[in-house]
Amino acid sequence: MSAAMDQTAQIRQKARELLENKVVDCVIGYERATDGVNARPLFVYEPEEADRLIFDQTCTHNLTRYLLNRKGKPTAIVVKPCDSRAINLLLNESQLQREKIHIIGVVCPGVVERQWRQASAKLLNACQVCQQHVPVIYDVLVGELPSEPTVAEHYPDVVEMEAKSAEERQVFWKEQFSRCIRCYACRQACPGCYCPECFAERLDPLWVGIRIAPGENEVWNTIRAFHLAGRCIGCYQCEQVCPVDIPLSLLNRKLEKEVLGLFNFQAGMDAETSPPFSTFKKEEKLGIGE
Amino acid sequence: MAVDFEPRIVGFLCNWCSYAGADMAGTARICYPSNIRIIRVPCSARIDPLLVVKAFQLGADGVLVAGCHPGDCHYTEGNYYSRRRFAMLHPFLEYLGIERERFWLQWVSASEGKKFSQVVSTFTDGLIKLGPRKAVTVQ
Amino acid sequence: MSQFISKQHLLSWLGQLMENRHLVAPARVDGLILFKEVGRVEDIVFDYENTTLSPKEWFFPKTETLFYVERKDGKVELLPPEIEKETVIFGIRPCDARGITILDLPYLADPADTFYRQHREKTAMVGLSCLTACPECFCESMGSGPQDTAGLDIMLTEVKDGYLVEILTEKGKSLLSEGLLSTADLPKPKAPKTAAVPSEGVVQKMRQAFDSAYWSRVADRCIHCNVCAYVCPTCYCFDVRDYTDKGRTERVRSWESCQSPGFTKIAGGHDPRANKGARMRQRFGHKLLYFPEQFGPLHCVGCGRCVRSCPVNIDIREIIEDVQKMGAPK
Repeated sequence: MSAAMDQTAQIRQKARELLENKVVDCVIGYERATDGVNARPLFVYEPEEADRLIFDQTCTHNLTRYLLNRKGKPTAIVVKPCDSRAINLLLNESQLQREKIHIIGVVCPGVVERQWRQASAKLLNACQVCQQHVPVIYDVLVGELPSEPTVAEHYPDVVEMEAKSAEERQVFWKEQFSRCIRCYACRQACPGCYCPECFAERLDPLWVGIRIAPGENEVWNTIRAFHLAGRCIGCYQCEQVCPVDIPLSLLNRKLEKEVLGLFNFQAGMDAETSPPFSTFKKEEKLGIGE
Repeated sequence: MAVDFEPRIVGFLCNWCSYAGADMAGTARICYPSNIRIIRVPCSARIDPLLVVKAFQLGADGVLVAGCHPGDCHYTEGNYYSRRRFAMLHPFLEYLGIERERFWLQWVSASEGKKFSQVVSTFTDGLIKLGPRKAVTVQ
Repeated sequence: MSQFISKQHLLSWLGQLMENRHLVAPARVDGLILFKEVGRVEDIVFDYENTTLSPKEWFFPKTETLFYVERKDGKVELLPPEIEKETVIFGIRPCDARGITILDLPYLADPADTFYRQHREKTAMVGLSCLTACPECFCESMGSGPQDTAGLDIMLTEVKDGYLVEILTEKGKSLLSEGLLSTADLPKPKAPKTAAVPSEGVVQKMRQAFDSAYWSRVADRCIHCNVCAYVCPTCYCFDVRDYTDKGRTERVRSWESCQSPGFTKIAGGHDPRANKGARMRQRFGHKLLYFPEQFGPLHCVGCGRCVRSCPVNIDIREIIEDVQKMGAPK
């Protein structure tokens, strides 16, 4: 873990500098959680607190969501490659001002599954197929590129699901969604879910009722995922935070795959290209309505 | 079993073309199955995918979205957006276990009463063949 | 001498219970252990630490119909929901059973909540004492413990080849016939030690901490999901809504949480608890100050679920420690 030690030291130093020189008034990073194993988000306001910061493979959170709570305030943030794509997404959607954020990008070999109590050795599913080890946007880069980025089939789980019969898929998803307790952790953790009023909480008209029951859970989960079609940057925080382990990334990754196939688009790779649903080409053939 | 099955179809039709097309079918006395329940909307781009998902949740056997042909949108470009949106929704619904045949996007202009009747007939026939949506109960 | 039931007798007893009651027990659902209504004894899991979700939903369901209103022949009728058959929950941990006794305080206080009371009357709780403690368990600091019998009708403690049985209430007596029991001269296994959290005097400290900037600092990292409240065995807030369909209206209540952004929003759009810090203070204020002031005990049983499930590690044990360390306000 010497690379991680090094990254931690560099992040601390950078954070201290930024705070001492008043470039920013807050640095958002990671610190050790109370179990002594995992990481949790940390907001550093004073230079002397910078030594609480850490970075290693337990730093699973996508912190960019927090930038939305600090709009207009100069803030530095530690981002992994996938998280950095969320910054591009939010810039593209006019949710952030670039000049107000200072991005400390970390080179990332992938993070491990969050396991309570003991250090996990298993990379997240998303990380196992990740091709992006360097952030796509940053002001300062911390760490060195890992020597062998490995990638096989990018959507093995999605392909497996597609191969099932419609009935099997219906049963699978109904079972998964029936477990949902509608805690909305998936939404709250997602950098792309920032509507001031979520459709799930609209009272008039009442699109999704308050019933925590299979039918309404299904609508909630379907539309939550669909609202991220072409916008999901693949950090899969949603799946990470789900208390009842619904495989939400399997939904998001399906949409990701379709977006890549239909529009040759990956969300958040730059801040200029708009997501596919906010634009169109007149002459395109999409295999529907023809 | 298929003989007695009357599928329930929710049809979202754009006010300017497809709804007028359905009207045209009526005034020209062209028959089409009464399985479709039509909801008139200003534009096909008005159809939030949520409405489609909700229709399925509430028990629709099929959902038809129809709007102006590309290039003919009353609001110039609404249907281009809906084309992209539903091109994504379609495989996604399939992924969730709602068969491809249960969701259709069609372009029907105000003068295409005959086409409207054909679309609804073919769609209905397909659904009859497919049978009702299986009720999956989970604990 | 204590009463004893062999594993085999226990299984056949559980099988009998299923015949004319709902039997709810820990079961495996994908990778999780959840309380579920079980139809086969084989589905019951015996070797678990605790379930991901608390058993409160069998007393205070995630979603519950309060009544139906129907218009019939020009008259309006109010129809109560159907009353369920009796339920036995098997395998409740002591902390969770105590959690139910804490739910009793607001829900059974006069005027009692009709629905909660009905569930409570029709449900028996068979506990399983804890032989091991998770690192995040702190029940002993919250007035409970690995062998606490509060709220339970029957308590079982696993020993070699079977369980020691303590029948605690009349309800428990009527469930388990003497015929299945024998006596055994076995000592009760030693209770495991749980983490110590300095809960003593926290109420007073919380009162002083009301205006502290601490809450907004903790709230910085809170993402305001509802996980903590929904996994908690003692949280009891709900939202109510009417569903109308063809002349029939159903009034439904569902879980709701003080952490959700719209929880305190009122007509006209004002939200008296609009900022993150105020919401955070509300959660811990309710647990450690308002509830004890109104009802007596702390509103926490130390089950550790929120500690395990919180996506950003907002840890009530740490909060209690921090609050205890705070100086008196100037």
